[in-house]
Amino acid sequence: MRLSILGIGKKISLLLYLVFMIFPLYWIVVTSLKPQDEIFSYPIKYWPVHLTFQNYVSIFKISKFHIYIANSLLIATLSALIVLAISLLGAYVLARFQFRGHKQVLISFFLTQMLPGFISLAPLYLLMSHLHLINTRVSLIVMYTVSLIPFSTIILRGFFQRIPVSLEEAATIDGCTRFSALWRIIIPVMLPGIGSTFIFAFIQNWNELFTAVMFVDDESLKTLPVAMNSFVMKFDIDWGAMSAGTVLSVFPTVFLFILAQKFIVQGLTQGAEKG
Amino acid sequence: MIGNKKAGTLFTVIMSLGLAAGCGNSANDPAKPKDSNDQVTLRMVESMTSPKRTELLKGMLAEFEKQNPNIKVELVSPPYDQADNKIRTMLLAKQKLDVIEARDLNVAEYVNNGYLLQLDDYLAGWKDAGTFSSIPKSVGSVSNKLYFIANGLYERQMFYRKDWFDEKGLKAPTTYQEMVDTAKKITDPSKNRYGFSFRGGAGSNGITDNIILAYNAINVNLEDSMFLKNGKTIYSTPEAQQAMEKYKELYKEASPPDSINWGFQEQVQAFTSGVTGILLQDPDVIQSLQEKMKEGTWATAPMPVGPSGKALIAAGGAGWGIASYSTHKDEAWKLIAFLSSPEENTVFTKNYGLVPIHSSAANDEFFKSGPYKTLLDMTNKPDTFLNYKPPFQYAGAGQWGNVSTESQQAFLFDKTTTADLLKTWDAYWVDQKSKIKK
Amino acid sequence: MAFQDYKLFDLSNVRFVGFKNFEDVLKDPKFIGALVNSLYWVFFSLFFQFLLGLALALLLNKAFRGRGVLQGLLFYPWALSGFLIGLIWKWMFNSQIGVVNDLLMKAGIIDERIGFLSDPNWSMFSVIVANVWYGIAFFAIMLLAALQSVPSDLYEAAEMDGANKFTRFSNVTLPYIMPTVITTTLLRVIWIFNDPTIIYGLTNGGPAGSTHILSSFMLDKIINGGDYGSASAVGVIMIVILLLYTIFYLSATKSEKVGDF
Repeated sequence: MRLSILGIGKKISLLLYLVFMIFPLYWIVVTSLKPQDEIFSYPIKYWPVHLTFQNYVSIFKISKFHIYIANSLLIATLSALIVLAISLLGAYVLARFQFRGHKQVLISFFLTQMLPGFISLAPLYLLMSHLHLINTRVSLIVMYTVSLIPFSTIILRGFFQRIPVSLEEAATIDGCTRFSALWRIIIPVMLPGIGSTFIFAFIQNWNELFTAVMFVDDESLKTLPVAMNSFVMKFDIDWGAMSAGTVLSVFPTVFLFILAQKFIVQGLTQGAEKG
Repeated sequence: MIGNKKAGTLFTVIMSLGLAAGCGNSANDPAKPKDSNDQVTLRMVESMTSPKRTELLKGMLAEFEKQNPNIKVELVSPPYDQADNKIRTMLLAKQKLDVIEARDLNVAEYVNNGYLLQLDDYLAGWKDAGTFSSIPKSVGSVSNKLYFIANGLYERQMFYRKDWFDEKGLKAPTTYQEMVDTAKKITDPSKNRYGFSFRGGAGSNGITDNIILAYNAINVNLEDSMFLKNGKTIYSTPEAQQAMEKYKELYKEASPPDSINWGFQEQVQAFTSGVTGILLQDPDVIQSLQEKMKEGTWATAPMPVGPSGKALIAAGGAGWGIASYSTHKDEAWKLIAFLSSPEENTVFTKNYGLVPIHSSAANDEFFKSGPYKTLLDMTNKPDTFLNYKPPFQYAGAGQWGNVSTESQQAFLFDKTTTADLLKTWDAYWVDQKSKIKK
Repeated sequence: MAFQDYKLFDLSNVRFVGFKNFEDVLKDPKFIGALVNSLYWVFFSLFFQFLLGLALALLLNKAFRGRGVLQGLLFYPWALSGFLIGLIWKWMFNSQIGVVNDLLMKAGIIDERIGFLSDPNWSMFSVIVANVWYGIAFFAIMLLAALQSVPSDLYEAAEMDGANKFTRFSNVTLPYIMPTVITTTLLRVIWIFNDPTIIYGLTNGGPAGSTHILSSFMLDKIINGGDYGSASAVGVIMIVILLLYTIFYLSATKSEKVGDF
């Protein structure tokens, strides 16, 4: 009896929690399907009276959403991959080797996280301007990659440390080189960590607004958040277009979560078998 | 999230060096000898961006390129929210730019830092200078020198719910006193209906300063509008006290409680979604109202006046200026002259909801009727609606909005008295004045 | 820049002013308010983000049908830009036209509209709710990854020893994921402390400055008035606070687990 009350309580709180998490999404989706005059009508309508896809049509026709999505995908993916490659090696070194300045590197990584980003934007702009990189995709990839490496390295280092050195030693005895041991034994075991770091880096890039606004001018180079930010005008937020854009921008990341889930779990079992 | 500490400091050093030496002018290539066959590319940046306005501008630019086959124009359209910050940074880095959209509120900053070219010589040779009105000229000027040609003007007026007013047999109020009384009559919290679309958040000084100016009326120095003709600030008078007490009454008894932290967008949303009955706003809001509200439910009226029957009105605006380091200044002017011609400007202002900059446009049926008529009426009564120049020449004008908003919120929460509030404001402007005299 | 009178309004007048910016900032009562708010902001945001994130990670660590989809649905807040989160919650929290009040009234929980963003007693609560909503996914993602790398033989061994659910969690799971917990909470504190976007979007520090935290206070100085001098001074103070915190946190958690500091 006591147990079932506990169970009901648990279910209710879980339900409340889900409502809290999912309601805003519901609200955005519903808004994106409403015609202009229903979005702000009072009393509030929880379901569109006249269902329309006009908002979706207009963000592709008036704003060039296909271009922005392509840019965002390209920049976010490339930068996340570079981040992963560099931080994996960096984290491995930091986790497995003791060397002079080891501590300092780690401390400086934490330090980089402490500088509020806004203040460095103007100086960085000047630097990029001297390098003639303003208004290029490369500038964003460089900026994003640099800003994400410290975090990714710290996180991946944690995952490396959790893997017993004995696993690696066993592999080396079996005739693997250090690098192939890393590649064939350690990486598969670490896939959950790698996967989540990739997702993290990707999403961080996917969402980034301020740098993207600053460093890119041309319509053909703009990213998704910049395009969405333009729906905020002096007196008005175009919530129809904004919510349609939001739904589309969340889509790839949700897809990535689902994909990563399968990938990570598979990787995990494979790694365990080999180990 | 951005940046690496070490790199950050390094760049700061680089930047300060660059500033100190006055270098970093990557765009300042020695000017090439001009040849009419040379293909010229102009870069232009807009500030008051909205997707629709960008479309409109692009259409106009395409027409310009057709007329001038040797000139191409690249338009940069940063989101409205971030635009001025971005333009400022581009100018600091001397990034290639020829035509810049400057605004009344930041033109002094640009001029102080030498970013903008003075346009008086070009103006003298402009074929449309004859009809170019004096108000847009004054909006685009700093210390009587012209720096940008406004692409339209905004001027505050009253929007009200005609259907609600008719229902209760009310007329559009003409004074602040009447406005507060009328707003109270409409207010009915049980129906979630309020008289006034209040704005206590960002930009609240638009309302507080306006009401204080209207109460001080003819005593205000119109050229230096934070001060009276006797040199004291507008906040130092008993009239200012009265004005602020009216203002508090307006909030407490006729406005949504939530509006204490509303900005432009919420203020307008509340009006369009039928929560509030009176809105004081610029004409660029008209488009939004037309899109979201049924015809006939709303109408316009002139701004309310103070107890002496007068109100002070300022015109604001943004417009096109030329970067001081532009390498194609003549072509840039050609573009500005094209965009500012009576024909193009009329199209632009009609579509975007602004008052045109040429006196000739006043004859256009479009501006003589509908929601724009009120503005014309106000312009035609310069003795009732005195035109003043906002204090953008002070370094503290940018920060003023914030100072004013925060102390005004504390005042509405009854945390400060009227006298203390006005004392703070008075001190702020006395301090500003002393700094400019140096 | 923290030692300069550096205002964008007049760059010809940039000069060295020693500690004047620091003095001005420290004397500003708004700064103290923002400092106190920062503590609330960081503590409550982190506490609930972590707790709910951990709960979510544990929930999703079991295999069940539709887990991937549920995960996608629950993680999406993390996939939104900060400015959007501010806008969405500002709209929902609006007391006249927002859905939160409307729903609460319809459900009969409240009779009077609450000024979530306009009542100083509520505004801090509201911005923290939005921040918690946003940040849960971060912990859930990171902790889930850590949970999934717990070798299953550890559990089997514990089960053979007769451990129940709770002791298994506290004896096996917790120690194993501890390094992730320490690093993520440490980093998250720094980020929450530094990120002004949600507050900037939701309340812009208002009403009457009641929701300013240090980072939004700094951003405000840059955006309204371009005062890079005092903004940098605030920035330096923030870094000092974070450094002290980091040193304290790492020594308190005896973190040979995190790093050999």
